[in-house]
Amino acid sequence: MSDAHHGFNLREWIFTTDHKRIGILYLIGALSAFAIAGTFAIMIRMQQYGPGMQVFDSGSGYNTALYFHGAAMILVFLIPALTGFFANYFLPLMIGAKDVAFPRINAFSVWLFYAAIILALVSLVIPDPPDVMWTGYPPYSVTTEGNTAFYVFTVHLLGFSSILGAINFLVTVIYMRAPGMGWNQLNMFVWTILAAFILQLIFIPVLASAVTMLLFDKYLGTHFFDPAMGGDVLLYQNLFWFYSHPAVYVILLPAIGILFDVIATMGKNRIFNYKVCVYAGIGGVLALAGEVWIHHLYVAGVPDWIRVGMMITTLLISVPIGLMLMSLWGTLYKASITFNVAMHYASACLFLLLIGGLTGIPLAMTVMTANLGQTSFVHAHFHFVMALFSTFAIISGIYYWFPKMTGRLAEGKLAVVAFWFNIIGVNITFWPLFIIGVQGMPRRYFSYEQFPQFAPYHHVATYGSFLVALGMVLTLINWIKSAFWGVKSEANPWHSKSLEWTHTPNPPGPGNFPHDVTVSADWTPYDYVK
Amino acid sequence: MRLLKKLGLAVLLMGALALPVWAYEGAPGLATGDLTPARRWDILWDHVLVDLWVIGVIFGLAALYMLIKYKAKNPTDVGTATKLNKAQAVAWALIPVAVFVADDFYLAAQGWTLWGIYRRVPENALEIKAIGHQWYWEFDYGNGVVTQELKVPQGRPIVLRMHSEDVVHDFSLPKFRVKEDVMPGRITYVWFMPDTVMDTIVTCTMYCGVAHSQMYGKVSVVPPEQYTSWLESAVKAAADQQTTKVKG
Amino acid sequence: MAKAMIGAVILTALAGSAYAQMPRVPESDIDPAVFKIDEFKYLGVKPDQSLALVDQNGQSFTLKDKIGMPLILVLSYFNCDGTCSVVNSDLAQLLSRQAAWQVGRDFRVLTVSFDPHDSQQSLKDFKERLALPEAWEQGWTLSLPAHIEQAKALADSVGFKYFWSAQDRMFLHPGVYIFLSPEGRVVRYLYSTQTKSFDMGLALTDAMGDRIAPHDILNYAVGLCYSYNYKEGRYKLNIPAFVGAASLFFGVTVFIVSAFVYRRRGKGDHK
Repeated sequence: MSDAHHGFNLREWIFTTDHKRIGILYLIGALSAFAIAGTFAIMIRMQQYGPGMQVFDSGSGYNTALYFHGAAMILVFLIPALTGFFANYFLPLMIGAKDVAFPRINAFSVWLFYAAIILALVSLVIPDPPDVMWTGYPPYSVTTEGNTAFYVFTVHLLGFSSILGAINFLVTVIYMRAPGMGWNQLNMFVWTILAAFILQLIFIPVLASAVTMLLFDKYLGTHFFDPAMGGDVLLYQNLFWFYSHPAVYVILLPAIGILFDVIATMGKNRIFNYKVCVYAGIGGVLALAGEVWIHHLYVAGVPDWIRVGMMITTLLISVPIGLMLMSLWGTLYKASITFNVAMHYASACLFLLLIGGLTGIPLAMTVMTANLGQTSFVHAHFHFVMALFSTFAIISGIYYWFPKMTGRLAEGKLAVVAFWFNIIGVNITFWPLFIIGVQGMPRRYFSYEQFPQFAPYHHVATYGSFLVALGMVLTLINWIKSAFWGVKSEANPWHSKSLEWTHTPNPPGPGNFPHDVTVSADWTPYDYVK
Repeated sequence: MRLLKKLGLAVLLMGALALPVWAYEGAPGLATGDLTPARRWDILWDHVLVDLWVIGVIFGLAALYMLIKYKAKNPTDVGTATKLNKAQAVAWALIPVAVFVADDFYLAAQGWTLWGIYRRVPENALEIKAIGHQWYWEFDYGNGVVTQELKVPQGRPIVLRMHSEDVVHDFSLPKFRVKEDVMPGRITYVWFMPDTVMDTIVTCTMYCGVAHSQMYGKVSVVPPEQYTSWLESAVKAAADQQTTKVKG
Repeated sequence: MAKAMIGAVILTALAGSAYAQMPRVPESDIDPAVFKIDEFKYLGVKPDQSLALVDQNGQSFTLKDKIGMPLILVLSYFNCDGTCSVVNSDLAQLLSRQAAWQVGRDFRVLTVSFDPHDSQQSLKDFKERLALPEAWEQGWTLSLPAHIEQAKALADSVGFKYFWSAQDRMFLHPGVYIFLSPEGRVVRYLYSTQTKSFDMGLALTDAMGDRIAPHDILNYAVGLCYSYNYKEGRYKLNIPAFVGAASLFFGVTVFIVSAFVYRRRGKGDHK
């Protein structure tokens, strides 16, 4: 193995088939999307500061921003950061593999991802940008002036990229584990990412076909979703959520996986009830993920029996999630916790997950959504799960593996200050939205002259978002600064037992492991207590 | 001694597994009494909130306590928790599952009961047709009267049969805690009980385009006599308009 | 001549391609758009349940007695020597071909006359000509309204238009089957000239709405595969449902392939 460090070469990066470089490419793309979509988020909050026009000069400008914010955050930031960046960089290292099973397919996946980013950015500058929200419900998405095609093609590119990635990683985990590594010795992150890819593989084709039919309806004059011509308006919503609810678990599960790895390592503790957590927890989510989508359509005029049926399945999914929570909490029990920055974020994640999860319970009840559905209560709920919990888990993971990727630490005062801005900011932003959501403040409004009484709450939320913006900017500055000039890290700064820390240098060279890895039957990534 | 332990565990497990049954049986009958659906919604919301706060506070305090209590005294310390044995592992799975399932069934039973009320339209309900347009609401009283403001008599259940002329909208009446999508090609309905005289608004909560935020209309609940006299004059006005149209 | 003309009127009314609003005096031709039912206006309405009717045996009953299961409502008149018997006998033929839906057991049919000149006698004659199977005696009721103005009210409440043509000496009206739900609400209109046996079953499934009994699951599943085309007035395959199902199948297959098929080749390579 030759030394990898011989200066920067753009060509090498673009045509790389090394899973670590591909991972970094995913990270750069995802963080760029986060920055742009985050800027839109601040503009959206400023627009909602009061009724009437604030920063946008028309509703359509606001709707485009809202479309871009939602689509980019979910499809280009959260999913690629977790299943692109973290999976690529760390999954092969965790299972002791030299690379992924199909390195060239992997490279092709990341190219598709960049093509999607370019397409999404182009959609912002064309006349009549898409304004269909990330859900793209017909008939609006068919009758609108906006160019829905950009939405459809972005979904296609990302979907294709994800399917290739899913096949690649499933095969990698099934066939390329280090000799001796059994299924019960996998890192929690590996398990969760495996589950996420199974969901991606099974459900993405459904979304892809749904948006394709949308494209045909809009541009080729078909009538798949046109009720006057025998189409069915509701069917798109069914197909869309049939994928997009499992997509929530594609985000949630790997985020929980990161949380497990950070907490177990920083607490030098075993995973509490590992097998139950994996087989009942993750397995339970996998089993139920495809049977709950109607809770997005509780007030959409679907038959009553299915509203009640899926209320029960939706409530029951709290059981596997609850088991994972028990394991997370149990992992803290009798631990010995060192609070680095990653652990700060991980601790916050516990509370964010708790709030996000609990506020989902009323939304699982059909009758509760008769008032709460489509309000800012829903908006705040899924932001707690996706925007706050999952994003904080991603940040925690980046801090945790920062020395692995760069050989330097990103710790320090700046990081902690940024953390406090973030955690205080998000709570100030989203708690008021819960309150006015219960009172009827609808989602996706650029103005609310019919609800002037909510203006003070929106004021508070907007100020909160400024704190988050400040925290995020400081975090980014800290990462860039630390990557180049940070304190050099020792080989295994957190004294982890996991293979990516114990058997590879920082950063790992081509081929990952200087020596072939084998693990013994009693090894686990978490066996601190002997 | 070990036998006793096992026996104790078995009893505990069986008790835990009986929880869901109790929860289902114990769901209080929201169906009784003479409350409006909106009021029942508020009561159920309070129940749910208590439920959320209890779980939230237990888990939240536990996390906070452990994060502080188990802070490493020095950097080389490792955790001292031991692995669970089989019985403990199973117990730590089944007992929480039983508690969660119990809570789920309790909430599901409550939700189901109230949902039944939401969907069962009273016999004496006054039927009005609501039509969603980009971007306004229209109400058809079935006798030639078509308005953009919904006027209803106090004290009589109102059922709205709804559809949309263009895209998907959502008829949301936050004061009465009801909401249902409105779409082309399908008829949906909601019913509510206007028990006090008031002015409120109906607003669209399904993204429907550029003026989505401005798609709202006035809803006024008026005393029955006032409603009757208003409707009479409105019918007459509508009929007059019709005849002038025909003549013209 | 007149019959042929009325047939043509009804046929074109259903195609519904013309948009004129005002009824014209039927001197030369009838504007077929006159009969077109504005479905969106009338779907979901609930005709007056207290409508009093008299059946072929002189027994009086109300509309309320006939609901509780899906009901096919046919507005006809018994003196009619043309389309009315065709509309009714076509319906009988369509229904006889329904394996899953039995008249009387799963749904009812109610024919109501709107002609003031109809009497018990003309009803009996009509029934003889129609020659329904014995088994349908309970399920299919031919009836006269107790008060003729109630027929007009019923027709108005479901958007059914008819008028007397002095020239042709007969009523002009559309041939339409109106499907009511078990609660007595209008769920679907099907036009007699273009309805196929298959559409009948789907419309009855639609009329069942949420009330699915276990033995209806198959019907319901078939119902999910079709959706109603308002423009053409018939059911068409719901293609997105199939595309979605096929996509899901594709995803599951790829998952199984990546988990298992590779194993055979992989084992050889790694050794």
